[in-house]
Amino acid sequence: MKVKQILRSSLLFLTPVVLLLLGWEIVATLKIINPVLISRPSEIFPLLYKMIMPKTRSFLGHSIFLDIYTSLYRLLYAFIIAVASGVGLGMLMGRNKFVYRFFDPLITVLMPIPGIAWAPIFMLWLGFGDPTIITVGALAAFFPIVYNTAAGVRSVEKKLIWSASSMGANEKTIFLKVLLPWSTPYIFTGFKLALARGWRTVIAVEMIAASLFGLGFMIFDARDYLRPSIIYAGIIVLVVIYFLIENVVKLIEKRTIEKWGMVRS
Amino acid sequence: MRITRSQMIKAFCSVLPFLIVIGLWELAVDINIVSSRLVPSPSLIALKFHRLITPKPILLDILCMSFYRLILGYALGVSVGISLGILMGVSKFLDRVFSPLLSLLISVPTLAWVPLLLVTLGPGEETVIIAIFLGSFFPIVYNTLNGIRSVSKHHIWASHIMGADKATVFFEVLLPGSLVSIITGLRLAIGYSWRALVGAEMLAAGISAGVGQMIYAAKAFNDVAAMFAGLVIIAIGGLLLDRLLMDPIERRTVEKWGLVKER
Repeated sequence: MKVKQILRSSLLFLTPVVLLLLGWEIVATLKIINPVLISRPSEIFPLLYKMIMPKTRSFLGHSIFLDIYTSLYRLLYAFIIAVASGVGLGMLMGRNKFVYRFFDPLITVLMPIPGIAWAPIFMLWLGFGDPTIITVGALAAFFPIVYNTAAGVRSVEKKLIWSASSMGANEKTIFLKVLLPWSTPYIFTGFKLALARGWRTVIAVEMIAASLFGLGFMIFDARDYLRPSIIYAGIIVLVVIYFLIENVVKLIEKRTIEKWGMVRS
Repeated sequence: MRITRSQMIKAFCSVLPFLIVIGLWELAVDINIVSSRLVPSPSLIALKFHRLITPKPILLDILCMSFYRLILGYALGVSVGISLGILMGVSKFLDRVFSPLLSLLISVPTLAWVPLLLVTLGPGEETVIIAIFLGSFFPIVYNTLNGIRSVSKHHIWASHIMGADKATVFFEVLLPGSLVSIITGLRLAIGYSWRALVGAEMLAAGISAGVGQMIYAAKAFNDVAAMFAGLVIIAIGGLLLDRLLMDPIERRTVEKWGLVKER
């Protein structure tokens, strides 16, 4: 019974996708729209296969895994920097009213600026490639973390802190045993938003901060050679990677904060 | 509307951090802690704004072009997004057709579409407008669909029993019930559109003027002051779109009709 259900739901999911691809193929074959401009599925999927298989030398001249790896380690570094600085400042903002009043307006104004708009400035300061991409990615990921950490710490009930300190807890114990556990769900939300924002920003900045490798660079470079099939293949890879990241995060969430009973309804 | 004393104090408190940061920044550049070639002083950025306005109002052209693209792309996103969301919410068949496609495409970063649009549509206005459309379309369709789905079946059944036809159920039950969610979508989408606008304007080489284009063009001349001026415009523009456009819409509709609690 279970197998039948899975089969049914995957069939329901795949049918529209396959129909869309078929329609696209027909439009390209009948030259309703110039196939050079819109590419076609029968060209994209073999190309994707070639890019993934290590033995065949594709147009790229290197395996697509190098691009994937490059984009991912940039995201990872950016995320680590953002976590370290964002959680720190967020905690300070949550604990101290003056720090909060000082940084809150600044963050409100700076947060909506898209990461890519910072890129030219950082390219001037740090040059092309990794330093700029990682810094701008970290900057974009920093804001949601600060924002959510501060909100989490501020949501801790004053009574909890008072009772802990009246029972003789010092600042360090309060921090580790009261503030941190209570605000963990908020911080985790911040992490999730930051990963999504960091990912988008890394891909976008790779397009303009010429970097040789990376998924963003790969799809933007293909534009120069008028090869839309490479761009489509890149977009498919982007979807798959984002899906994987999302599921890893969900798994971590299940194993940690849900297991520790920290998710409040 | 009279401004009370406490409101004035509040406004001053939120402006004060900016004054402090700008003051320290100016000081750091003037006493040469940081090179003014790499970091322009605030006064230099202000001068840049002055130059953008006085001999010829270039700034006005830039803003007009950007807002023209934003409005076109956003309007397209709103009309297509809300219609598709409603259709998917009402018809089970359309939901089955479009849900898989949307769930696959929603995770693509908006700017990843831009190289593709550059090939297919060329480096002109169309690319920027379609990028803005793609940025606003997904949050709107998603929130509209969720809104329609969140309407309780009991309400629909009850109105059916009382003799309402399909149109009445739609206009009197489904639409009001999903309005809070739709407006949330509109609000998210304006932020997404603004981001897509800036990014697409930076990547599309063939457009004449625009905020993103201004920053990107400044890169060729190492004109840091212009880049910072662009950032100021982007920050203020994004904030104003959210506060001046979306706040009144929310007040006039969902808050006035008592669908959400007033803040």
